[in-house]
Amino acid sequence: MKGGRNRWIQPAINLLITVALLTTLSFLPPDTSLSDRQKTGVLKLCVPPSYPPLVTGDPQQPGFDIELGGKVAAELGLRLAVNTLSSIGTDFNPRNWSLTRGQCDIIAGGVADTLQSRSFLQTIPTPIETGWVGVSKSGQLPAAGGSVVVLPGTSGLDRLKLSGWLRQQSRQVIPARSPQQFAETLASGRAAAGITERFLTAGMALPEGVTPFWLDEAQFPRFRMAFGLWKGDQTLKRAVAAALQRLEAAGDMAALEARYHIETIEEAP
Amino acid sequence: MNPIVMALRGLYGVWLREITRATRDRAQLIGGISRPLIWLLILGVGLNPYFRGEVYGEVRFVIPYTYLQFLFPAVIVLNIMYTSIQFAVSVIWDREFGFLREVLVSPMPRWLILLGKVLGGATVATLHGALVLILARFADVTLSLEQVALALLLMFILAFGLTSFGVILAARVRSFEGFGVFSNTVILPLYFTSSSIFPLDPALTRAQQAVTYPEWLVFLVQINPITYAVDALRGVLINFNQFAPAMGVGVIVAMAVVFFVVATIDFARQ
Repeated sequence: MKGGRNRWIQPAINLLITVALLTTLSFLPPDTSLSDRQKTGVLKLCVPPSYPPLVTGDPQQPGFDIELGGKVAAELGLRLAVNTLSSIGTDFNPRNWSLTRGQCDIIAGGVADTLQSRSFLQTIPTPIETGWVGVSKSGQLPAAGGSVVVLPGTSGLDRLKLSGWLRQQSRQVIPARSPQQFAETLASGRAAAGITERFLTAGMALPEGVTPFWLDEAQFPRFRMAFGLWKGDQTLKRAVAAALQRLEAAGDMAALEARYHIETIEEAP
Repeated sequence: MNPIVMALRGLYGVWLREITRATRDRAQLIGGISRPLIWLLILGVGLNPYFRGEVYGEVRFVIPYTYLQFLFPAVIVLNIMYTSIQFAVSVIWDREFGFLREVLVSPMPRWLILLGKVLGGATVATLHGALVLILARFADVTLSLEQVALALLLMFILAFGLTSFGVILAARVRSFEGFGVFSNTVILPLYFTSSSIFPLDPALTRAQQAVTYPEWLVFLVQINPITYAVDALRGVLINFNQFAPAMGVGVIVAMAVVFFVVATIDFARQ
């Protein structure tokens, strides 16, 4: 019996040494993204000029994402530098926004945690949800053959799926280039309803009587909004994710949601 | 004694011998550590910046994961491949030094002896694969208990199939030296053509893939069964599949069954 026990001592020691070594190595930093920020003391947050309520342009209430970014920077012992870039959201192809690593550490103010976004960035979801919403006076989309104005936005929702679905439903699509054009098309009656991304409706002057409603969730799932970080910036991502968790545990996140009247998904939009 | 109990005790004995031998062999454990270190810590970190893009939207590596995360399941498969196929050395060793002859004259059926050996090899290979899971934090892969359990199951079935494949190779190679060279010419090409270190973008059609990669390479990747094993593990560990998820599981199970049957036939001839 004693001999049988002794037989396993050596393999157990070998295995323990192996596991201890690998565990220790797993704590090595895989990149310099966090240490670089700590050297400069600055965390750069890129946002569009306006994306209410995430970015408002109001110095008193600058927006959910900007205030959250400030709290994250404070948690990391860094100073937040907000880069407001008008190029963000001007084109559906994010490549044309010309955002570079030199300008931004984090991209916020309209990044949804979707597969498309994650093809270019690594994302840390915030509690806020987005998705496709319809807007009309009747609270529903018109029957087949009816016209729908569509403003896809730039948060990374699946526009191909939406256009395929609209084609399948035989609805006439009127593309809009801006929130203003979207609202004008609705007001003129050229379109019986509109479809856009949830938060784009917040900054629009929609015609009176028009109300937003979610599109069918089974067809069009909702997504969390997110902070977008460059792929490969693992150490920075871990530090930001940990800071967000601490803020959530301290109740700061909930306080921010209340301050910006960001309703739960059941109540919104 | 009940013949079934006797057979099971024999099976346990053969399995235990393989486990004891492998876990006492420090060189094997060093191999199990060095591969993930080289591939994840050095190659993964070294190439990571080239796949991250400097301009938003310009990344060519259009999968929703970092390079380290993409590489992580493939390194598990690499560790399993090496350990499983190298296990055949134990078969050659037993053959050369007469242990196999002693076991073969026991009342145990040959297929049961082989099953014990293959189960032993598969257990050790799964352990080596599981060692890579310890580096999940480094690769920024978050794992739930269900994911780990499912991954271990897939890893074990894969290890079973590959260990059987090692036995098939051992039946055709008569010396240690020959096997060393032969195993490397099998493992590395299989690994490199399994979409382990570069992705076949699932959003691309075959014609579009042929624009990114030469058609012969796409063809090699698609006919390589290890491609589907890596894909199945990616599905479980990072929720990313390049092929239909059921396909990976099907290929792994099929490999286990077919290779074990062939190995049994070969082993019976020895």
